[in-house]
Amino acid sequence: MLKKQHWAIPITLVFLLMGILFSLQFQAQNRISSELSMQKTENLIAMVRDLSEKRQKLASEIVDLNGNLRTQMKSVQDESELFISLNEELTKIQTVTGANTLEGPGLEILIDKQMPILYVDIIHIVNELWASGAEAIAINDYRITQDTSIFYAENEQNMSITVDNNNLTYPIIIKAIGDPNNLDKGLTMPGGIMDNLSLYRAYPIISKVDLLTIKGRNRSFMYYFLNEYKPAEKPADTASPALKT
Amino acid sequence: MWVLPVFGLLIGIVLGSTLTFQIPLIYVKYMSIAVLASLDSVFGGIRSVLEERFDGTVLLSGFFTNALLAALLAYLGDRLGVDLYYAAVFAFGVRLFQNLAAIRHKLLLQYRSKKNRQLR
Repeated sequence: MLKKQHWAIPITLVFLLMGILFSLQFQAQNRISSELSMQKTENLIAMVRDLSEKRQKLASEIVDLNGNLRTQMKSVQDESELFISLNEELTKIQTVTGANTLEGPGLEILIDKQMPILYVDIIHIVNELWASGAEAIAINDYRITQDTSIFYAENEQNMSITVDNNNLTYPIIIKAIGDPNNLDKGLTMPGGIMDNLSLYRAYPIISKVDLLTIKGRNRSFMYYFLNEYKPAEKPADTASPALKT
Repeated sequence: MWVLPVFGLLIGIVLGSTLTFQIPLIYVKYMSIAVLASLDSVFGGIRSVLEERFDGTVLLSGFFTNALLAALLAYLGDRLGVDLYYAAVFAFGVRLFQNLAAIRHKLLLQYRSKKNRQLR
């Protein structure tokens, strides 16, 4: 029994240390088999081949996707360009039809009640303004557009000038956007409309303004008979071979 | 009789697997040779127990010095360009199998003598 005790303790100690060493070595060996630098050359070559193939595939995918992205971007850009040009077109058309409020340098002509002025004179002034390069004209905030009529209306007491059947109240203010100097010269040139009016002792007051605003018209265009003209399509080509036969 | 050592071995394995310490991969080679050396020492110890000439000091000193020297020699061999690693593997391997054979012989002899005693 004593003998047993004598050897049991050192042996147990050695076995314990063995166990620790064993399990440590096991772990390390497991790690080695998963470590790249400890792999066999043939395995490494196969792995490299696999991975480079994968990489090539992914690279070509990247190229494809980049192409997709580019076309998408281009179409988006086209769309936004189209949108911008449509907006510009809309603004132009609104300017022509008088739908929007405009601003710019121009001329203001003030006509007082004392001045003996007829509707014809107003027409002459407007015509002269158009001729001298006015881009937009309004009389007492009635915008002059393609269908504007300038006429007169009378009742028992007095006669008044009308624009689109609206009686003008004095003072009549004609606003015109354009080059102020050109517009002024057009009106005041010798033998021009101002000269003519002075014969009747009418002296409208002309003033150049740096920034005029002209309001848009508040009427809308109404068309009952109009249709856009579309040229009739040429007779189909199938007719000609029929004639030949 | 052998319960305590086996128990120690199991505790050692569990202890080793719970340790978070990891041997750097470069030293795994030397570690393996140390393990081989210690294995040889352990079998030597068992053999000496069976041959009833056991000495605890010899076993423990042999265990540590063999393991350390084997690892050191393998490392030195790597430094010097001589594969002392294989020499150590060979030496300890041969000794291991000799020890195993001796243990087997001893156990067989014990078994037979026991049987003979019973027969008589």
